This record gives sequence, structure tokens and C-alpha cells, in this order.
Amino acid sequence: MTRLLFLSLAVLALASGQESKIAPIRFTDTTLDNGLRVIIAEDHYAPVYAVVVSYKVGSRDERQGRTGFAHLFEHMMFKGSENVGPGEHFYTIFTRGGSMNGTTNNDRTLYYEILPKNQVDLGLFLEADRMHSLRVTQENLDNQRQAVKEERRLGVDNQAYGQTFEKMDELLYDNFAYHHSVIGSMADLDAASVADVQDFFKTYYAPNNAVLSLVGDLDSKETLAKVKKYFGAIPRQEAPKPVDLTEPAKDAERRAKIDDKLARVARLDIAYRIPEATSADNRALSVGASILGGGESSRLYQKLVKDKELASSIQSYTDGRAGPSSFHIVAMVRPGKDPAEVEGLISEEIAKFLSTPVTAEELGKARTGIRRSMLFPRESALSTAISLADNAALYNDPNRVNTEPEKRLAVSAEDIQNSARKYLRNANRVVLVTNPAATAVRPPAAKP
Amino acid sequence: MKNPAIVLLIAAAGFIPRAAAQGQAPSPSLAGVVRLNKAPISNEVLKVKLPRPVERRLANGIKLLVVESHRVPSISLSIRIPTGDLRNPPDLPGISDATAALIRLGSKTNNSRQIAEKLAELGASLSFGSGLDNGTISLSAMTENFDAALALMADILLNPSFPQDEFDKWKTRQKAQLEQLKSNPNFLASEQMYKVLYPGDARQQIRITAAALDKMTRDDVVNHYRKYYVPSGQWAGIAGDITPAQAVAKLEKALSGWKGGPVAPISMPMPGPIAEKKVYLIPRPGSVQTVLTIANLAISRNSPDYIACQVMNRVLGAGPSSRLFRNIREEKGYTYGIGSGFAATRVTNFFNAATSVRTEVTAPALTELLKEFHDIGDRAVPAGELDDAKSAIVASFVLGLESSSSVLGRWMEQREYGFPEDYWDTYSQRVMAVTAVEVQRVAKKYVPANNAQIIAVGDAQKISELLGKFGPVEEVTPDSN
Repeated sequence: MTRLLFLSLAVLALASGQESKIAPIRFTDTTLDNGLRVIIAEDHYAPVYAVVVSYKVGSRDERQGRTGFAHLFEHMMFKGSENVGPGEHFYTIFTRGGSMNGTTNNDRTLYYEILPKNQVDLGLFLEADRMHSLRVTQENLDNQRQAVKEERRLGVDNQAYGQTFEKMDELLYDNFAYHHSVIGSMADLDAASVADVQDFFKTYYAPNNAVLSLVGDLDSKETLAKVKKYFGAIPRQEAPKPVDLTEPAKDAERRAKIDDKLARVARLDIAYRIPEATSADNRALSVGASILGGGESSRLYQKLVKDKELASSIQSYTDGRAGPSSFHIVAMVRPGKDPAEVEGLISEEIAKFLSTPVTAEELGKARTGIRRSMLFPRESALSTAISLADNAALYNDPNRVNTEPEKRLAVSAEDIQNSARKYLRNANRVVLVTNPAATAVRPPAAKP
Repeated sequence: MKNPAIVLLIAAAGFIPRAAAQGQAPSPSLAGVVRLNKAPISNEVLKVKLPRPVERRLANGIKLLVVESHRVPSISLSIRIPTGDLRNPPDLPGISDATAALIRLGSKTNNSRQIAEKLAELGASLSFGSGLDNGTISLSAMTENFDAALALMADILLNPSFPQDEFDKWKTRQKAQLEQLKSNPNFLASEQMYKVLYPGDARQQIRITAAALDKMTRDDVVNHYRKYYVPSGQWAGIAGDITPAQAVAKLEKALSGWKGGPVAPISMPMPGPIAEKKVYLIPRPGSVQTVLTIANLAISRNSPDYIACQVMNRVLGAGPSSRLFRNIREEKGYTYGIGSGFAATRVTNFFNAATSVRTEVTAPALTELLKEFHDIGDRAVPAGELDDAKSAIVASFVLGLESSSSVLGRWMEQREYGFPEDYWDTYSQRVMAVTAVEVQRVAKKYVPANNAQIIAVGDAQKISELLGKFGPVEEVTPDSN
């Protein structure tokens, strides 16, 4: 266990107890002959287990004209395979007392089940059968296309600020891989065909393009034998061509405005381009974001929400991806106030952030938060399994679940200042104002 | 450390007759699913006994439950207090929320910034929440910082200063957040549902209003605090990396100065179902979906029909294996998500289903939904489907053992409702004993097939007329206050 290098006086005064030990997560890491990487961690706390399959494919792998396809495909994985009927997967899991879901992001697609420990064969069979074979029909595709279009309406088109997220990615990224949203466009969802589904399955849903993790009240050896039984015969496929995520250099600030018919309050988004999640700069800026705008004691909250009362809420955070990533500041502007004034104050705070190192007290708070966040992947079999599978699939390093927090704890004030100076520059940022178009709360801000 | 739950494997032959369900042709009620029955399923149901909490009484009258678990070095504390929206005077909705927010913004020795700083330094989460008929103080922190976090919580709870300037600033933020809330279609539907179901009392007003914000004074907050932030007679629970002896010692030390109460619990009338169907339409210009809530009054938590209703709803609308999801999403593709449930508590007694559908399929989606409402009351649930619903409830019990907070939550529920000591030990048997006849009876009685109260938020011009076939339509303008 690494001790904190710089413990703030305030923390010393308050923290009465010894630092608790957080044991490392131990696991086995095996690659089958067909390329499937299998990670198993025993956790005998409760008689349950979680199974996760993370496929190394996300919206970044989509081609022009097929945005939203990786996610639409995820829905198709529940519509039947050689030995499992359409819908039988989720019906069986839930009626056996389990829970399951699938989720797609820019970089990967992940499926999970959590079940009582006597249903290990069930979970493995269901995941293996659909990795091995997928039954796609026009009818099933049309049906899930509708469900996904409703998901888009629910999350984007019928929500205030729904467009803001999409517009932000379009402004941050020029490379098509991250330029478009995970949910995709209605036109592209309409264009997806059964042949597309079959091609995508063959290319990306291969054992050598996936990580399987199992965590819970299991015996590692027995479980690995079962994994071999169910997955061992699935043939390897030609490895998909890695997608180029390189972003062309940018030398000017980008600004845009959205008139949102569903919003009643203005919102200001500022975002800076930063390197990939595994980089030292990304790590330093993630810690920096928590100091700048994480929680009520942060600089931005105290200045803009409490002192000046220009915003009703404000946060900063980093969006860490396998490729080029971003640092965000989001403020809800108080009705009647000018987003330009909010932007001016944020710029002042950024300038201070670049000119003076963060204090020992601020770093101490951030480190306490990092230590507490180390508990999340240890709180359930499922959260452990997801952390292991994602770290293996995205970063080729399941042990990152243990090493990354240690590296974060070692980030210094100087590291934060150096990384901030490199990336939190106006020429490297996007400023996006979402104006409420339904109600004339205030005239739109004049912007250069 | 191994969870102390006693795990028993019970052969399910006769307990859950899988054989009856296996190999059957899919019945019409399994719309959206084709079962090939080739997956290897264990025919045993893990029967678990929920670990029992240790109960202690503190000197100030708090009844404490402790669930010890050393899985991770953290501790979570919840203390009930008799605040709540239903304590608010009729002209001051939100005074309970105001008190819960303001108490964190200053004590005699810490101003709001110091409180925020100290919580961040300790990595502790502290919240004061106000529900309908009670409130909860929640504190969680890593073991190493729990004592200091508890001391800070006690300072805030016992010595709040309710600073006037913080109150004024909070009002300003609340008004901005109210505006944001009004753009949320799900919130608009929920707000209208309470007005429809409980027009005669305080339950009809589920949020603070701008008028109340203008009117409320610091004195109102102080009075609410004095009356309702009291310990005596309340339940508290602590879960995590702590022994019962440590828990008692720490709480006695931190909260010995906290006195007062008991406060008589709130009692609300539990009206029966509204007899006539009706549609409430809330126009939301620019909407591309209709947000639908279909509700009526049903049962409270103490109803003898509660468990039969849970089984019935598992068939009808709880989760992706239910009829509503399979039909309206998986077969028809009208929605991304749909579900139904009972809000059965001490002060609410309604059933509702909710979904969002694209504007163009508003009418067919409602037709299908009401068809399912009729069907579950008109026809006995087939044996296989009923067994699956029951096993879903019983077998999922084991998943809850992973979290000491969820184990604690179940025991808090048992204590607060005064259920027998063996309530959770016998719960599975009572679920398994529910028959198809009972399911049909409670469906007929509580699922509003003929008297649906439909709330629709969406593009009024496109849906107003077609909603007429589901009942008389009343167009409602959302409360601008």
C-alpha cells in the first residue's frame, strides 16, 4: 500500500484513524487457443457470480453512413442464436433470479449477467452461443431498429440539452471515429441491413477480439474448465484492422450556439482536447478536474455558484477514452444572467489554474476521493468483473484496476500545472452555448 | 470475509415445477420470446436466509440496527427523522426540502464552505433528504475517516445556524432548478399523476413552488427543524466495517446531545380507485415522444394483497421478462423501455405503468398496454409463466446479499412496518404459495383496465384527438408557479 506523499494538515487534523488497507484484486489471466482472453477472480462474499464479455468494438469502428451501428448490433445480440431463441436470453436470466444488460460506448461493447452461483453453466452457455452464432432476421432487425430509435428520442431528441452532447463531439473531433455519437443518426439507423449485421458479427464478434471475465463465488480451475468447454470450439477470425484515432492538429478555438426548443435555462459547455486515458497528462488532468470543479468545495462551484451566483450548478470532469480524450466544464446559467459573463469568470479561474500550483489541501482532497473510488470495483462481483474486462479490452492490462489508482495518488501539483499548461489553452478548446428557445428567458448572448 | 448468510440448496422438484414449463410451445402470453429450452439451467433455487441485524437502543431513544460487513473499509449510516413533505403547511410546500438543504449550509462553528471543505477532505458523503412522510440523514465514509465524519455530521445536526445569506442564495438556485425541472417530461407526468390521485390533500403537491420560495422565511425553517429533526422513536441503521459495540459507542458519543421527540407518525387516508377513466394531456411543444403514465389507486404496504400483487406485477410489468416489455418493446418496437409497479407505502397506495413512445404510435401503444391490463384480469396466467415469475422473485433474493446496505434496507423496512421477525425468512414461501386465481383476482381489482387515469405529455396538436378514444380528455397547463 502506497502511503500518501503529501498529506494536508487539514486532513491530518481530521483523520483520526489509520489508513485502511485496500487489498489488491487478485485474478487469473488465461488466453485460450482461439484467442479469447479469460480473467477469473474468486470473491466468496455472497453466493453469486458475474460474467462479463467485453468486445473490442465501439462506435469508433463504424463507417460513414452507419453511425449507431455498434449499439444497434448490441440489441441484436439478444434476438437469438443457434440454441437460444429471440428474447430467450433475457427471459431466462431474469426468471432464474439474475440480472443482465448490454452497453456500448465509443471504444467497446460490453455484456453482463449476474446470477446465483449454481447457474454458472447457464451464463457461460448463453454468452458462448451468441459469440459462436447469431441468428439475424429482417423482422428482428426492424424491431430493434425501432427500439433503438426510441432510445435516441428518449435520450436526445425529446430531452433538453440532448443535442448538446452530439454537437460537442462534432466540435471536438474531426476524425470520424469520435466525431459522431454512439446512438447515431436516424437516417443511418434506417439504412442498416441484415448483411451489415452479419458482416459486423464476423469481423468483430470473434473470441480473439473479446475478453471474458468471471468474478464471484467460483473455483478458478473448475470455472476455466467450463469456459474451455463452452467457448473453446468457437473459431478465431482474422483480427479486425485497428481504427486510426489520430486527430489532426487544431490551432483555433471553436465556438457554436444551439437553440434548444426543449430547454428553459441556458447552458455553457467548455471543453479542451487532452490525450488518451492511459497518458500521464490525462491522469494529471483528471485529478485537476476534481480540484477545479468536483463538488461543492471546488474552485468553480465556490466562485460561480456561491460567490457570484451566476450559475445554478457547475462541474468539471474528464471524458477518458482509449484515444483522444477531453476535459469538460459544464455550467447551468442562472436565468437572466449572461453566459458570456459565466465564460469570463471560468476563463479567469483557468488562468489561475495555469499560473499557480494547486495547494496541498486541494491535492489532499483529491487523493481522499481517489482512495474512496478504489472501493467501487470491490463492492460487488459485477463491478469487479466490469473493471477487469474493460481494462483488459481497452488497455490490454486487467491489472490496471490495481495500478491506476496508485498512479493517480502519486500525481503532484507540478504534474497538474504542467499538463494544464499544455492542454487548457483557448486555441485547444470548444465553447458551446445552448440557449433556451422555448422561453425567452434572456436575449442570446453576443459572441464574437 | 464470508457473508454469514446460511445457504441452503433446495431441490426444486415440486418447489418450482420447471418440467411444466419446459418443452411447451410458446403460449400467446410469451409474446416477444421464442424458447428453445436448450440452455443448461440448474433446477435448484438457492434459498438464502437474510443475515440478521443486531438491534440496540441509544440513550436518546433511537432504535439502531447494525449489519456488520468487512468487504470494503467503509461504513454507511442512515437515521430516519420525522420530517417530510406531508409535514409542510398547505401554503408552504417545500419547507421540508428547504430545511434539509439549509442545514448543511452552516453550523455555529463551520460555515458552508468549511463544511464542504471538510467533507471533501474526509471523502465523506453527507445528505439530508426529505421524503413524503419521513426524512433520512445519510452519512458514508471510509472506516479511517468515519469518526471525524460523524463528528462533523453531529455538529451540523445539533448546531445548525441557518444563515440568512445562504438561505437567500439557495432560493435563487432553487428557482433556476425549478425552471430546469419544468422542461423534464417525466417530471411533468409524475407531478400531474399525484394531483390526479390525491386531489384532496398534501400529496397533490410534490415539489416546491416559486411562490412558496418567495414566502418562506428563516423562521419557518428553524421551526420545522425544531419540531421534526428529533431522534426519539426513530429507526437508524448502520452497515459496513463496524461492530455493534463500536457502532453504539460512536453514536452515543456523537449524538448524546441530540434529544427530542417522539413525533406522532403521519396518517393519511387511503382512497380507493377512481371509478371513471380519464385522460390528462400536458402540452409540451417540440416533443417527438409522448410520455405516458397510466395509474390508479391500489394498495398500501400493509395490504394482505401485497405479495400477490408483486407476483402479478412480475408477470405484467416488472422487468424485461414481463408482458409489457415483451409485447410493447420486443414485439411492437413502440418504445425503448416500459414498466409497471405498485407504490405501496404507509402514505401512498397506487399502481402505475410508464413509458415513452414516438408521437405517431401513441394510440396503438396505449391500446396494447390496456389490452395487457385487461388480459391479466380476464385470463388465468398460464402455469409456466406464473412459475417463472415466482422463481424470478425468489431466486433473485440472493443477489441482494452482496450489499450490506441492501440487507439493512430490508430489515429497516420490516421494523418500520412492524412486520413479524420472520418476515424475510418466510417471504419466499409466501411468494411460492400465490396461485393463478389470486393473481387474476388482484389484477382485476387493482390494474386499471377500465378506469385508467392516463397522463400524456407531448405534442398536443398531434395527439389530442386520438387520445379521446381512451377517455374524456382534459388539457392541463403545467403549474407555472
